[in-house]
Amino acid sequence: MERPLSPFMFPTWYRFQITSALSILHRLTGIALAVGSILLAWWFISLAAGGELFAKTHAFITSPIGMLLLFGWSIAFFYHLCNGIRHLVWDAGHGFELRHAYRSGYAVLAVTVVLTVLTWTYVLFA
Amino acid sequence: MADPRPLSNSTALRDEAVLRRVRQLGSAHDGLREWRLQRLTALALIPLGLYFASSVLWLAKSDQTTAVAWLSSPVTALLVILFMLAGLGHALVGLRSVLLDYVHTRARLMAISLLVRAAVVIIAGASILAVLKLFLGR
Repeated sequence: MERPLSPFMFPTWYRFQITSALSILHRLTGIALAVGSILLAWWFISLAAGGELFAKTHAFITSPIGMLLLFGWSIAFFYHLCNGIRHLVWDAGHGFELRHAYRSGYAVLAVTVVLTVLTWTYVLFA
Repeated sequence: MADPRPLSNSTALRDEAVLRRVRQLGSAHDGLREWRLQRLTALALIPLGLYFASSVLWLAKSDQTTAVAWLSSPVTALLVILFMLAGLGHALVGLRSVLLDYVHTRARLMAISLLVRAAVVIIAGASILAVLKLFLGR
């Protein structure tokens, strides 16, 4: 069987489109958030344990690498949330027309940027 | 086609009858159940996720004592446990659907699926234990 399988479709067989790029981004952010649940569980454990474990965890989270990870996860969270709502609207049977799919896609990107900027403005400057 | 009625007004989210119609057309396995679980957890995660994110944002401006007091309170403990369960259930279905697309060997798919499932159960269990310890020990 020589038909191309999913991991190899994008650069070779498909032209770049915002709709498919957003779809792939939905998966990537979903995977990132699943990985993030490990740190989240770790943070709960360190809060429950207290003492040195919490101090170490807190030091990691507030380190440059920790902050960079949190920044990435905040983008992933807002994007996956907004695009997830877009998917639920599709599941309810609305917004399938191509121009609507494009418009909602750009709206998702815009809202993601706004929420991320607002969040980090609050964290860093408020 | 035995039943030509259109499905437009009865999506699978609302209508169990779709399963009956689909069954003879292909290998459904747990597909419909997972599909529904993914949507239902997604709906639950909209309020739970916004609640959790805004709480963490507020905690970013406070200290350890405040965070412990927050997580120990009954309403928070319940909502955080629900958030973790819905989130990890959602992650499990999502990760499985990615694996189904990219892992093409049955044995390998089963092995990786079991590993992901085990990891998700451990993360969920550990989170719930930690929250319960704070809630019960306050």
